[in-house]
Amino acid sequence: MPDMNSLAHPQQHQFNPYTENGGTILAIAGEDFTVIAGDTRQSEGYSIQTRYAPKVFRLTDKAVLAVNGFAADGNMFVKKVRQRLEWYRHAHAKDMPLRAIARLIQTMLYARRFFPFYVYNILGGIEEDGSGAVYSFDPVGSYEREACRAAGAAQSLVQPFLDNQIYFKNQTPAQDTSHPVHLPLHSVLALVIDSFTGATERHIEVGDGLEMYVVLARGNPALQSLQDLPGAEEVTGTQAEERVFVIRRDLKKD
Amino acid sequence: MASANGGAYSYSLTVFSPSGKLVQIEHALAAVSQGTTSLGIKASNGIVIATEKKSSSILIDDSMVDKVAVICPNIGIVYSGMGPDFRILVNKARKSAQSYFKVYGEYPPTRVLTQEIATVMQEATQSGGVRPYGVSLLVAGWDINRGPTLYQVDPSGSFWAWKASAIGKNMVNAKTFLEKRIEDAIHTALLTLKEGFEGQMTEKTIEIGVVTVPTTDELEHAKTSPETGRPKPTFRKLTEEEVRDYLAL
Amino acid sequence: MSIMELNGGSVIAMVGKDCVAIASDLRLGNQALGLSSNFQRIFPVTDRIYVGLPGLGTDVHTLWEKFRFRVNMYTIKEEREIEPETFAHLVSSTLYEHRFGPYFIEPVIAGLAKTPSGGVKPFIAATDLIGCLNFAKDFVVAGTASSKLFGMAEGLWEPDLEPEDLFETISQALMNAVDRDAYSGWGCVVHVITKDKIVTRTLKGRMD
Repeated sequence: MPDMNSLAHPQQHQFNPYTENGGTILAIAGEDFTVIAGDTRQSEGYSIQTRYAPKVFRLTDKAVLAVNGFAADGNMFVKKVRQRLEWYRHAHAKDMPLRAIARLIQTMLYARRFFPFYVYNILGGIEEDGSGAVYSFDPVGSYEREACRAAGAAQSLVQPFLDNQIYFKNQTPAQDTSHPVHLPLHSVLALVIDSFTGATERHIEVGDGLEMYVVLARGNPALQSLQDLPGAEEVTGTQAEERVFVIRRDLKKD
Repeated sequence: MASANGGAYSYSLTVFSPSGKLVQIEHALAAVSQGTTSLGIKASNGIVIATEKKSSSILIDDSMVDKVAVICPNIGIVYSGMGPDFRILVNKARKSAQSYFKVYGEYPPTRVLTQEIATVMQEATQSGGVRPYGVSLLVAGWDINRGPTLYQVDPSGSFWAWKASAIGKNMVNAKTFLEKRIEDAIHTALLTLKEGFEGQMTEKTIEIGVVTVPTTDELEHAKTSPETGRPKPTFRKLTEEEVRDYLAL
Repeated sequence: MSIMELNGGSVIAMVGKDCVAIASDLRLGNQALGLSSNFQRIFPVTDRIYVGLPGLGTDVHTLWEKFRFRVNMYTIKEEREIEPETFAHLVSSTLYEHRFGPYFIEPVIAGLAKTPSGGVKPFIAATDLIGCLNFAKDFVVAGTASSKLFGMAEGLWEPDLEPEDLFETISQALMNAVDRDAYSGWGCVVHVITKDKIVTRTLKGRMD
């Protein structure tokens, strides 16, 4: 019950339509594969809402989208992207190429320039030339293609680690040698797991579970080893030549 | 020397007599020598402090009389002289040990605590409106740096480390008794201070400190030593070996 | 405008096998403007203890002078060198004296403690600006790049690193962290403390 004193002053009320739901996402492109990963904790302030809320989604057999920020916007955005991709399939009888999805996402994000989706997107997959690719976006559609990107609550913890381990920043190659341009799949998966265990250790909004999507290009020699990997589940949708797998790992729940 | 009633300089305020004595302190020492005998003996692996605990009446519950006091986990003290004064010092010493712990996260070394108590006792010889403490103390403690150490603190605020000592009523006899049981005494003479020196001089009975003036070059370039990053000291004390070497010349 | 981020700068310390390392960047700035690329914020306390003081530039000097004074008084009064853990408590209580008007510094301490058997034991600690001690067993970080340093150290550090490996680990952790922090960088200095020597190296970094 408001007292007389507080009624004497003007009261302002404002509705804030946004929330920050924590979590972190990460994608790394290899020569003929891409890994797109995200933790599964969803929180609001200091409360954990759920320990399993996926942030990484298979769009097509060569495109996987990770969304981080305001979970409601993220889910709605994925829904709308999928709708546009289905329309594209109906019109063209094929899946939209990765670089076209990237441009579509920019357009969709910028369309909401003045009431944005409060979401950081990372799109990963295989280009038409068979190379692994990562596209990262800001909430209003600025985007670029990169070899790796981290976003979300623990971006500041993970990104410098990736600079060092993927781009070999601040490392000088030994005499007459050079750093590899692309890392093999097993090294990339190890780095992703290390990144998330590190982020889980030091960030309260990261943890519970880890989902790593692996998109393999046509004829990738790592296919067999992935099929043999315990806990790796194939989620390829059609008879396409690209193959999509998801690997799940537990993260600390504290 | 002070007369029986204390003489002309026996004010409650501690002032010098023309002969250079602080008669109040001498009175305090007299109070100590009337007190019960206490003693401390240091061994290689520990220290014993002990005192007489005689009650003036059989009605007193002597289980409640504490003459040996724990100051902190590594230090204990005993006294001869006036019990009430001792109680005040125990209180201050305990507070001092705790405030040291608050700063450093560990209890003070024996020497540091002894110095704190000695400072309290000295202040009572130079402040207005107070009298010196009527006690001598034996402080026994252990620390990682010096191992077991035994100190005596007097009402004047002076303190020394002992291998063994006695204070109170029977201190002269007790000390003679203890001396017979301490083997190594120091008897070597030192040359530099020989003139007018009473007794023999050794590296144990004199100390030498030197000031080394830094050269212009040192001041210009090597202000700090490369190993430690600290300035090279200009004053230092000679080690006993150095004193010995100097005197051998 | 945060006072803790006015001048920028970061410090990290790590434990190795019978050795410790402490490292810092060399930038002093005024918000986005860089002023110096040779601002030393790590100081030698004894032959075996170093302290890093990231935070407000003016307090770096004031606080270091205060620590120097207190450590010198300790050394003279107690006729012994201060041990790392004792120094950490001294730092903590000095900062807490100013509980309600603090120095804007979050000190990092690295040193080798003497063991009763005559060996050495690595020691690191960090405190917040009012002296809350954090005795970590692996690494401690502070400064404007602290979250990046946590991420790097969490990914690179492993137990029982030899001095040279510890040097590489702490250097990579620091350099890659400060490269992602606008307020830190402009070169680094690394000290590796071992039983019989201290190795100090100044590293070139990105100058942007």
